[in-house]
Amino acid sequence: MFYQTKLRSITLIAALIFLACYASFGSYFAREIVAEIIILAILAISLDLCAGFGGMVSLCHGAIMGVAAYAFAIMSAKLGWPLFPSALIGLLAAVVFSGLVGWVTARTNGIFFIMATLAFGQMAYTFFFKSRWLGGDDGMGGISRFDLSAIGLETNDSLVFTYLGLVTLLGAYGLTAMVMRSGFGRTLSGIHVNEDRMKALGVNTAAHRAKAMAFSGLIAGLAGLIAAQHTLYISPELLIWTTSGEALIVVILGGLGTLVGPVIGAILLVLMKHEISSYTDYWHAFIGLVLIFTVLAGGRGVFGQMEYWFNHMTKPRHDPDHHQTTSQLRGGDHA
Amino acid sequence: MLEVKGLSKDFGGLHVIRDLSLSVTAGERRVILGPNGAGKTTLFHLLAGTLKPSKGEIVLDNQPISAFDAVKRARLGMARSYQKNNLFETLTIRENLMLAAAAALGKSTHMVKDTSKHSDIRQRIDEIAEQVSLQDQLDHTVSAVSYGSRRQLEVGLALAARPKLLLMDEPTSGVGPTMIDQFHRLLEQLPRDITVLIIEHDMDLAFGVADQITVLNFGEKVFEGTPEETRGNATVRDIYLGTGDYHA
Repeated sequence: MFYQTKLRSITLIAALIFLACYASFGSYFAREIVAEIIILAILAISLDLCAGFGGMVSLCHGAIMGVAAYAFAIMSAKLGWPLFPSALIGLLAAVVFSGLVGWVTARTNGIFFIMATLAFGQMAYTFFFKSRWLGGDDGMGGISRFDLSAIGLETNDSLVFTYLGLVTLLGAYGLTAMVMRSGFGRTLSGIHVNEDRMKALGVNTAAHRAKAMAFSGLIAGLAGLIAAQHTLYISPELLIWTTSGEALIVVILGGLGTLVGPVIGAILLVLMKHEISSYTDYWHAFIGLVLIFTVLAGGRGVFGQMEYWFNHMTKPRHDPDHHQTTSQLRGGDHA
Repeated sequence: MLEVKGLSKDFGGLHVIRDLSLSVTAGERRVILGPNGAGKTTLFHLLAGTLKPSKGEIVLDNQPISAFDAVKRARLGMARSYQKNNLFETLTIRENLMLAAAAALGKSTHMVKDTSKHSDIRQRIDEIAEQVSLQDQLDHTVSAVSYGSRRQLEVGLALAARPKLLLMDEPTSGVGPTMIDQFHRLLEQLPRDITVLIIEHDMDLAFGVADQITVLNFGEKVFEGTPEETRGNATVRDIYLGTGDYHA
């Protein structure tokens, strides 16, 4: 179950300050890296909600993000709608697509859920890949950024855009944390732990899981909007299943079921990718080794492991219930 | 309150429940007795909706519920505790009760307020914890507490739903005499607006709490009556309480 502990709040704020500094004092390229981190972190938070709390390991989150990006681009660039209503349509499309996937797959578990989401994701990918109207595999351009000049913000400035991205990341985290602490989020954890008992308590578990997917779609949709406005261009690459796979790597690297972990995981993955790729073309292999180490070292992820150590350090040793910790102290737990 | 008419359940050629009829009045404490394999737990599965009957009808408060699934029956006020612990093992006792209380109070789908800070839910958790004597272990993870505490939580989860009809499947199985006494007191203190069906093997407890006793054998009802009548009945004595032929 999720608790917004002090350690989590401090880690999140520290991560955001680090990213803001990295963008402020770095070059244009540094801001590009931060934008990439923001998009991946929001997508990973959305996936952590499903996989970490609901036990639903989805391989279509990239597709959900892509659906939002395409819907936004179609409305604004193709149909000439204003940007804000287009963005709302983008989010709505992601929620509907994700909720539909959730509704169809709600009664499947484990490997079957993974395969079903993979199939849905690849269907969406193929649709955009084949669509000539939307540019097929060349993707589509002509996308613009929100015009916030009314409040004195020039979004085409890379630093301003990055700051806005960070605010969106904070918002996505806050919204997800709020829902995970609510009856809805806690019940989702309960379904993950013991679905039968949750049914016996009168909870329609299939509908609950579908709603969780839909909400997760809203968060993934935010990542899609930033992705589209960041490069002002989108392609079916966004929807391909390896994008979802990368988000899953980030969640596991950072700490499944912690919400902060995905932010840390995104920072580590993107920085490793850029730093190591400047030395060798085999950076994938290095990230693979790090991931294997993370999983073998207990599977708590970088933040999860840190939280685990922190809780064991702060727990008094003379306590007879040393090993029977409270839920806050089991922060790295998957439920 | 609960009417069961001509209920049967077959698993292939095996008749586990045969043409069973039962009538339980509101507020009654009904104990179901019977040797192993008599069909007691299967009867609970049929009542709770986790198994579909082969034949027959179940009516709760004048409403036929045979076609309803387990979720819908739970929402109509049916709660159940299991013979084998069926808990949220990786969560704390507080979190277990929180989930049950949130479901009972209709807060499972609320998306804004922190459930752990909700006053109604906290109050319900404290009430139930006191009822099942778990108030000192609320923050312990279920997988780390004793078997006895888990049995108490099993009952606590069912009670947290504040049911109209409570189905308890051997709530005292595997626990010692102290806890059986505690449980006896708990049952006596339960408000009379809750109707209780209990499968129980502890005879003192069964005879102590029952208003009526139904005895099953090989899926059939072989006797029904008050505890006094049950004690004096030759058939029951023979198949269940008897010389030990059936239950050695």
